Amino acid sequence: MVKFMGLETENKEIENNLREIARELLKEKKVDVIIGYKKGTLPLLSQPIIIDSEEDIDKLIWNNLCYVNLAKYLVPRVPRFVDPEKGNLTVGVVSKGCVGRALIHLASENKINLDEIKIIGIPCNGVVNRQRIEMEIGEKEILEVSVLGNNIIVKGKNFEKEFPFDEYMNDLCKVCKIRKPPLVSKVPDLCVGECEEYSNIVDEFTDIEEFDSKTPKEKWQHISEALSVCTRCYACREACPMCYCNLCFVDQNKPVWFGKTTDLPDIIVYHLIRAMHMAGRCVACGACSLVCPMGIDLNIINRKLEKIVKERFDFTSGLDPDALPPMVNFKMEDAQEFMLEED
Amino acid sequence: MPNPYIPMLTRVKSIISENEVRDIKTIELEFQKEEKYKAFDYIPGQFAEISIIGKGECPIGIASSPTEEGTIKFTIKKMGTVTSAFHNRDIGDTIGVRGPLGNGWPMEELKEKNIVVIGGGFAFSTLRSLILYVLDDKHRKDYGKITVIYGNRDSGEVLYRDVLEEWEKRDDIEVVLTIDREEEGWTRKVGFVAAIVKEVAPSPDNAVAIICGPPIMIRTTVDELVKIGWKDEQILNSLEMRMKCGIGKCGRCNIGSNFVCIDGPVFSLAELKKMPNEY
Amino acid sequence: MAEKILKKDDIGRLYSELEKEYKFYAPTKVKGNIAFKKISNAEEIELEYLNSKVPPKDVLFPQKETIFEYRYEGKDVIIEERKDLEDKLLIFGVRLCDAYSFKLLEDFFASGDFQDDIFLKKRENATIIGIGCNSPRQSCFCTSVGGHPFQKESTDVFLSDLGDTYLVEAISEKGESLLKKLSWLTDAKKADLTKSKELAKQAEEALTTKFDFDLVTKVLDENFEHPVWQEISESCIGCSSCTFLCPTCTCFDVIDENDEYNNRGRRIRIWDTCQSCLYTLETSGHNPRPAKIQRCRNRIMHKFSYYPSNYDCLGCVGCGRCITACPVNNELRLIIDKILEIEEKSGEKVSA
Repeated sequence: MVKFMGLETENKEIENNLREIARELLKEKKVDVIIGYKKGTLPLLSQPIIIDSEEDIDKLIWNNLCYVNLAKYLVPRVPRFVDPEKGNLTVGVVSKGCVGRALIHLASENKINLDEIKIIGIPCNGVVNRQRIEMEIGEKEILEVSVLGNNIIVKGKNFEKEFPFDEYMNDLCKVCKIRKPPLVSKVPDLCVGECEEYSNIVDEFTDIEEFDSKTPKEKWQHISEALSVCTRCYACREACPMCYCNLCFVDQNKPVWFGKTTDLPDIIVYHLIRAMHMAGRCVACGACSLVCPMGIDLNIINRKLEKIVKERFDFTSGLDPDALPPMVNFKMEDAQEFMLEED
Repeated sequence: MPNPYIPMLTRVKSIISENEVRDIKTIELEFQKEEKYKAFDYIPGQFAEISIIGKGECPIGIASSPTEEGTIKFTIKKMGTVTSAFHNRDIGDTIGVRGPLGNGWPMEELKEKNIVVIGGGFAFSTLRSLILYVLDDKHRKDYGKITVIYGNRDSGEVLYRDVLEEWEKRDDIEVVLTIDREEEGWTRKVGFVAAIVKEVAPSPDNAVAIICGPPIMIRTTVDELVKIGWKDEQILNSLEMRMKCGIGKCGRCNIGSNFVCIDGPVFSLAELKKMPNEY
Repeated sequence: MAEKILKKDDIGRLYSELEKEYKFYAPTKVKGNIAFKKISNAEEIELEYLNSKVPPKDVLFPQKETIFEYRYEGKDVIIEERKDLEDKLLIFGVRLCDAYSFKLLEDFFASGDFQDDIFLKKRENATIIGIGCNSPRQSCFCTSVGGHPFQKESTDVFLSDLGDTYLVEAISEKGESLLKKLSWLTDAKKADLTKSKELAKQAEEALTTKFDFDLVTKVLDENFEHPVWQEISESCIGCSSCTFLCPTCTCFDVIDENDEYNNRGRRIRIWDTCQSCLYTLETSGHNPRPAKIQRCRNRIMHKFSYYPSNYDCLGCVGCGRCITACPVNNELRLIIDKILEIEEKSGEKVSA
């Protein structure tokens, strides 16, 4: 991607615009509350923030570290989004493309009423793969992270390192085709700010070519190794906007379907079954990987599923609130031969 | 000190199906090693972690009284994985037992006092233990007047019919049985426990009330008792919480800084009022 | 016993002499993170590290461990207790916050009428070699919870990193007998001791995060019901990063794992967390802590209110892992600030 201005300028522009829209929404009472991002207390983190007064508008930020998918806070709604008397409040959600997709997809699963939200669309320019930077810095404390030109500058005691953003962007952002939230024709005033109409998404899935070329045995090895350090803290599940089940399959005990231990087979089963539940539902926000305290990269698994769903069903999640995801929708002509494939 | 997570092994000696719906059974257990039974020194109101090894473990109040020598009894309602497995046991099967655990009813403090036992439904097991203990020849003289008010949804749910009938025949204990609705052939009281408590109006003088039952029954009954002059310190409750270890290590049964497994399960209403409402 | 000097180049020698007698655990790199693992080669040891991702607690209290094994023979059950609890363990290169956590864990597992035999036996057979923390992180606050980057007391042997060498001090009897085995260590000079003291002072001064936890405990004791808990729990997503990476969290679940084909199995315990809704969910469906507000509150109350009232100390060693690990940055420092604000506000009211 060619950048006409430095990342810093770009971010500032996004931030200014989103503050302006947020201010107007609150002033004109088009929303009751707004959820967005706030500067984090540690260099590579950001915080979700809920605001309901114009005074707090300037706390809202955009800085390539806003990796949490805010749709998570709407299913189920956090208490601040529900008024004891009025019921559901109208919530403005600061939305990069994947947050917008999550909201629209959740509407297709009847988890969100689009009349009760406003998508504050921003033209997302990607988020940083914070774990990759942390791991490359290694056993030194990162004290400051800033953006200069197209680089991420990481500073600590006695060191300073530059990371080209294009390379250290989260892998999903590198191939993202839906940077702005999709427009929904049925609900024309859903989107404020920058949104876009998407018709046909063309994705070559070049990012998983290497993984795809592996033999089943090599794939298994890749997945096993990547997952081996999992502590099963379930940050991936809890950060995922699509993981809203009241009782996750892995927590059920009547009957017990899967083991709860950190033995490798139990870990793999948890992640792969969860991935299966994401097929055609994942909105490629990458939150699952970016919140992992152990730095596990789940992107490849999710992209592989996205590819299968795209190829088999020509479906892209989160574009149309009326389109049922393929795994929720049965058609006689659905392709079935893949059930017998080896990979 | 032996490993406190290792269960003592017992065998199922008898199984009694307690109710018409057949989802409550009393299982009598005999220790495989005599010395383990001798070391199992318990008082009414304590519980044990009983396990079907291979299925899991759960905390159950001890239904037998220490005065019933030779075996211990547990009344188990079919609820989850482990309790359902208990319902599939046969005579002679091996059952693991860890205990006795918890504080139990304060048998020393209850001495010289009148005791009002109020129970609802299935939660009568440790009350059975208490009443049998107090009625035993060795102990009867230590305690005052005993009143038992025991309520059930219908007559088919009444537990421990054999001992209840014996108690009804005695003149040193007043037994009031009630069911929620009229039923053909039922000759005892009809009405919710709280209403019967109001009717019986047990005197709070030199007395302690011991209440076990579903939360709604406890709440309404306590209201009635308070109206007729009972103090929070005179009202005892036994709590249930999800537990794993039963010995204050696994964490989950805390209410504030108290662990139900080691600081309870018996708490007075006065104590409960000082604790956070997380039970 | 006089202080000794260990050259950094001699770590391999130390390892090869001690690994015969001890299961040797040390910080090592696993998938980009530092972890305490049983190593099989001195090259794996990474002593120049900030701190491990998962605390060394997991050496003595692993995420999954066997309580006992069992086997069915007809209607009989044969229980086999663990035999590996007597193994001698060496935990090398532990940061002092984590060394202090071993003391808290030991006190907790030994408290009350029932002692946790499994943990305590392992603890008894473990020798801990601590290492001074020359550069604490911004998120560290050990001095606020009774610790210190150079707190030697909870170790058996204490190392301070002097650059090319380590100053080695035996702190306990266990430590002394361990050092006797390393007769080749040279004697330390006065300058080495001075340097170590200087480093300790520098480390202490480098700690920027400080809290008055006496006040925190007091405010918590008085404010179980307070709107602040809604605010604190608002952004929490309910994962267990904070508790699973905590060196003092001890909660566990118990599960029977069966080998159905061979009529045998084992009862195991695995880490559990008060942040999970299942933790307190009863079979009836009733849940005493059904919402995030109660679960977030329980974690904070447990560390800073229940722990002091039950064990007379804080349930925290100030390692800062929950601060850095929280994926939504709902970190302890902010939580503590919000709690202390209650006191400030009530103070204002009184003075006004």
